[in-house]
Amino acid sequence: MTVSVKFDSVTKILGQARAVDNLTLDIGGGELFFLLGPSGCGKTTALRMVAGFYTPDEGRILFNGQDQSHVPPHKRNTGMVFQNYALWPHMDVQSNVAYGLKMRRVSEADKKKRVRQALEIVHMQAYAERMPNQLSGGQQQRIALARALVIEPDVVLLDEPLSNLDAKLRVEMRTHIKDIHREIGRTMIYVTHDQAEALSMADRIAVMRRGRLVQAGTPHELYTRPESAFVAEFIGGTNLLRGTLEEVGELLTVKTQAGIVRGKTGVNGMARGEPVFCSVRPESLRLRPAAESSATPPSGATNELIAEVQSIMYLGDNELYSLRLADSAIVRAVEHNPITRKAEVGDRLALEFDAQAVVVLPQEELSD
Amino acid sequence: MTSWLRRYDLTPANTAVLIFLWLFFIVFMLYPLGYVFTNAFFTAEGFSLIFMKLMFSSPNYTIILANSVNLGLAVTLFTTLLSLPLALLLVRYNFRGKGLLNGLILIPMVLPPFVGAIGMRQLLARFGSVNLLLLELGVINQPIDWLGGGNFWGVVILEVLHLYPIMYLNLAAALANVDPSLEEAARNMGASSFKLLRTVTFPLMLPGYFAGAIIVFIWAFTDLGTPLIFEYREVVAVQIFSMVTDLHQNPMGYAFVVAVIALTLFFFYLSKRILGGGRYEMLGRGHVTSAARPASASITVMAYAVVLGISALALIPHLGVFLTSVTGRWFLSVLPSEYTTKFYKDVFSHDLALLSIKNSLLLSSLSTIIDVVLGVTIAYLLARKRVPGRNVLDALAMLPLALPGLVLAFGYVAAFSATPLDARVNPVPLLVIAYAVRRLPYMVRAAYAGFQQTSVALEEAAINLGASPIKTLYQITMPLIFANLIAGAVLSFSFAMLEVSDSLILASKEQYYPITKAIYALLGRIADGPYIASAMGMLGLLLLAGSLFIAGRFFGRRMGELFRA
Repeated sequence: MTVSVKFDSVTKILGQARAVDNLTLDIGGGELFFLLGPSGCGKTTALRMVAGFYTPDEGRILFNGQDQSHVPPHKRNTGMVFQNYALWPHMDVQSNVAYGLKMRRVSEADKKKRVRQALEIVHMQAYAERMPNQLSGGQQQRIALARALVIEPDVVLLDEPLSNLDAKLRVEMRTHIKDIHREIGRTMIYVTHDQAEALSMADRIAVMRRGRLVQAGTPHELYTRPESAFVAEFIGGTNLLRGTLEEVGELLTVKTQAGIVRGKTGVNGMARGEPVFCSVRPESLRLRPAAESSATPPSGATNELIAEVQSIMYLGDNELYSLRLADSAIVRAVEHNPITRKAEVGDRLALEFDAQAVVVLPQEELSD
Repeated sequence: MTSWLRRYDLTPANTAVLIFLWLFFIVFMLYPLGYVFTNAFFTAEGFSLIFMKLMFSSPNYTIILANSVNLGLAVTLFTTLLSLPLALLLVRYNFRGKGLLNGLILIPMVLPPFVGAIGMRQLLARFGSVNLLLLELGVINQPIDWLGGGNFWGVVILEVLHLYPIMYLNLAAALANVDPSLEEAARNMGASSFKLLRTVTFPLMLPGYFAGAIIVFIWAFTDLGTPLIFEYREVVAVQIFSMVTDLHQNPMGYAFVVAVIALTLFFFYLSKRILGGGRYEMLGRGHVTSAARPASASITVMAYAVVLGISALALIPHLGVFLTSVTGRWFLSVLPSEYTTKFYKDVFSHDLALLSIKNSLLLSSLSTIIDVVLGVTIAYLLARKRVPGRNVLDALAMLPLALPGLVLAFGYVAAFSATPLDARVNPVPLLVIAYAVRRLPYMVRAAYAGFQQTSVALEEAAINLGASPIKTLYQITMPLIFANLIAGAVLSFSFAMLEVSDSLILASKEQYYPITKAIYALLGRIADGPYIASAMGMLGLLLLAGSLFIAGRFFGRRMGELFRA
């Protein structure tokens, strides 16, 4: 049976700060759930409360509806993968992995079998007798994972498990962990500040900021329907055009200094005259020579702004354009599979983008 | 639970341990000190400064104070002169055999200076080896009175030769801490080598220097063994020692102890002011990894000459002790005319010698066990738990570093007389506790360093997998900090074996004499006493050398930290 985890109005104060502030979250049994946010957002604190290393100051943590808030950590049956792996340097690999089974007084024969299976899952059978300091970072990471999985925990907790690996290995391990999750079907809570990791792996993501939950949803929901400029910016990166809300209807009309922009929104209760951001993803912008644009005036469903090319960065599969709008705000655009160059630095271009690709959001302070 | 309590990890077990620790410190540190103060300032008629006035006005007493201060200053000055060139040469230059020379410098620490005094007395006596050698060579016609001037210089020489390694450790650390880029900047501005030292390097070294200077000063000021053996009685330490016996008739003992405490506190306050002022805070270090540069041939020769020269000087007392211990016949000759190993056998058959070794082993083992238990507990609370009064606990555990053994022992005798712990009835409990308290800082530091090096995540990983906190402590934490505990315990044990002032003051009856007091007692007996004492001294030297070597292997380069305040 899989185990669901619920944060019920949980607050944790560390020092003077509300590290986690009135957090309510429902994590379904068997879900691969991500806690995502910039450093200091409270995601690790939340995870450590699930493990039992912190006790909530207010609210409760429930496993399958059972209050766990005051269960000591060694009686919770969670398996945690630590950021620095925390492999015990005085024990070899198999002793590290067997440790949790020893605590559970698993019979010797069963223990051997399960340690072997766990090492197989992470493809590390050959390393059972090594000492941790003889392993590379990626190998240590796999052992830490095996150690957490071998006890068949109710919840697997991963605290930035890939942050100490190099970029290539990190991408490999994403697939690996996702496969393991599919295989064992246990609830996993995964903490990261890397939005690409979260987007590519998660069943659902909770974005946190300053101890609070900002938005929770599937990667697709968060990317296409952000409810705040913070989420729009943090997940995937976006252009935020400053403006004032002019009209509210099926589509919203925003007056920016560079021109009129129409878009949709998922946020209720924004009123006319309110300062807003228009969020447009770089890949939604289409570039055309400015001369062509004046011929066909923008329809209601398409937006168009004039900009001057500031710089171009060639990345092989992509080309990144940095453009300056009339109000001298900078926007970024992406050209996929650039076969021929569309423009040169200094050229004036028309930026065309669909109203459906624009999300209108209330203005907020973004720097954390 | 109220909110301020919630900030602390106060489980019932933690609270019980904390209360126990507080009681321990109150009973065995604060109460004896308070008792001494009370008796120094209160007579039957109430508060009075009469003893203080007497101490500073009666010529008998002022000369004693002046002698001790002069002794401290002279020792500090000469250790500085000896250590500074050593530090400059060994920190700033790389050459073959540097590690060896570094080790050589530390050797004098392995001999308690009062044992060295035995050998020194033998060599520098009126008809001792040095004079006889010089007479034979025709350099002098009359024996020189080396230890003249009331033996003041004899004490100074011995203490300098014993204490310069401590000064060296502090100076070398201070020098290594000077950011090379600051010196490069001065060079860049056109400073010559000498100007550079005077205007940049020395000022930046000052805080580290003071840390060492204060330890050396206090050590010399309160050293009891050396002046006692040189029969230089007109110093504070010896006076306090002789006043222990008639505490009730003569309260001047209290006054002297208070003077020592006041002086000690003053110097530590001074050092904190200098060290904590932040004026010498190093800002942004440069990218230069090491300030050491390859030495030219002439510098290498100079380094060897200086280190070997100083070490040879420093080993003279050791040599004297060794010669005395193997002397079969030694009368009016430079070297003994007959040699024997008899006295080493005697150590293990002579009643007092054998008894004292047994006593010391028992006392030191017990005190080491106490140190390990207390030290690990305190270090654990400091490193891993949020407890109320954390800073006070830390300060109390470190206080013995600043507390001369003399003061503690005197306080114990006074405060616990006519209680079940009375040292004059059975000194064993107080000796064990005094040894333990004196070496507790080493153990706390060793264990604390271990906890700090061991990531909390390693413990959390075990708890997460179902190990109880106690199991985690035994299976994860302890094995990981084991090396630190061994190193700390070895140091605590061997220092306890050779503890001087506590032993001399507290051990009241011969049946309880530890090694050091037995050596002192044997020296006073004619016939074979001094020879057996020397043999015991040599064995003690080997013990301390062995333990410092073991501890050094564990602590590596951070060994010096143990001898800094």
